[in-house]
Amino acid sequence: MNKWVPVILCSTLLAACASPTRYIDPAADDGAVAMTMDYRDFERAADAALQDMLASGAVDNPSGDRYVMAVSRIVNDTMQRIDTDQLVKKIRVGLLRSGKVITTTAIGVDGAEDAMNEKARELRNSDEFDQSGVQKKGTLKAPDLSLSGKIIQRNHKVEDEQQVEYYFQLSLTDLQNGLAIWENETPIIKRGSDKGVAW
Amino acid sequence: MSRMMQLAVLMLIAGLLGACAPIQPEREAGARDELKVDPEVRGFITVTELLEKRVNMPGGGDLLKIQFAVQAYQDTLMEWAVTWFDEQGMVVPGVGEGYRPARVLPSQTRFFTATAPHEKVVSYQLHLREDREP
Repeated sequence: MNKWVPVILCSTLLAACASPTRYIDPAADDGAVAMTMDYRDFERAADAALQDMLASGAVDNPSGDRYVMAVSRIVNDTMQRIDTDQLVKKIRVGLLRSGKVITTTAIGVDGAEDAMNEKARELRNSDEFDQSGVQKKGTLKAPDLSLSGKIIQRNHKVEDEQQVEYYFQLSLTDLQNGLAIWENETPIIKRGSDKGVAW
Repeated sequence: MSRMMQLAVLMLIAGLLGACAPIQPEREAGARDELKVDPEVRGFITVTELLEKRVNMPGGGDLLKIQFAVQAYQDTLMEWAVTWFDEQGMVVPGVGEGYRPARVLPSQTRFFTATAPHEKVVSYQLHLREDREP
């Protein structure tokens, strides 16, 4: 029985030393920088891309209407397992809020982002559904623009430190002629301890 | 006389009730400064210019764009953020809420730009503070 006393005592002491779990306010986060990509990197890259996109006038439709944008492939060429939607979603939200671009979920490189676009149209000949509410033919909007890109990672050893470079490359293509009407690259460079790993 | 007494009692009760009421914080409403520089970095840097212009868009609208220049007297790590406001003074959200880090070397003048997230933005506040990342 007595042999458990030191174990319990040690675990209690260790638990007391652990930093408490707490919420972080993204608007006032003074926390340490990680060598891997964290939410601040995605936020900075998306913010830089969006501001550049808006300032360039590329997403401003001369007719006054909003452009319809499809999201193409965003390649993750890093050593980390990331969901590129962390970047794309912020850009989509920003574009939608700007009132200049709306994103279609009816088309994507690997099929529709929202399969319900197709499923809802399969109800056309079903006697079980009130046909007045079923989507008519020819109502889906074709995209005017396509957003594609790549996130690249490069690692270097600089003296006794390591340098990790991330490049957020984005292109906006006018689907009418296939021309890239806007392109941007946001580099995010980090240098830190050689002991840390960036994947 | 009794009426005077009644009035005095009423005033006393009203005074006591008033004393029990929670104290409301005072509002310091005033004009919002376009530039806010924290005292921690004020001694090391100077904002040498703060420009704004509305950039015309092909669709007919325009967007507010600002440019500011920072000159440093010593190697300074700072952070900056811009908050955008519409005509009613309400915040217009952008993509990022966080501060952008920047390093300004001695005698260096760096130029920064920022573009409003929406055409309805008419004013802004630029905040410069010290780099607080450990």
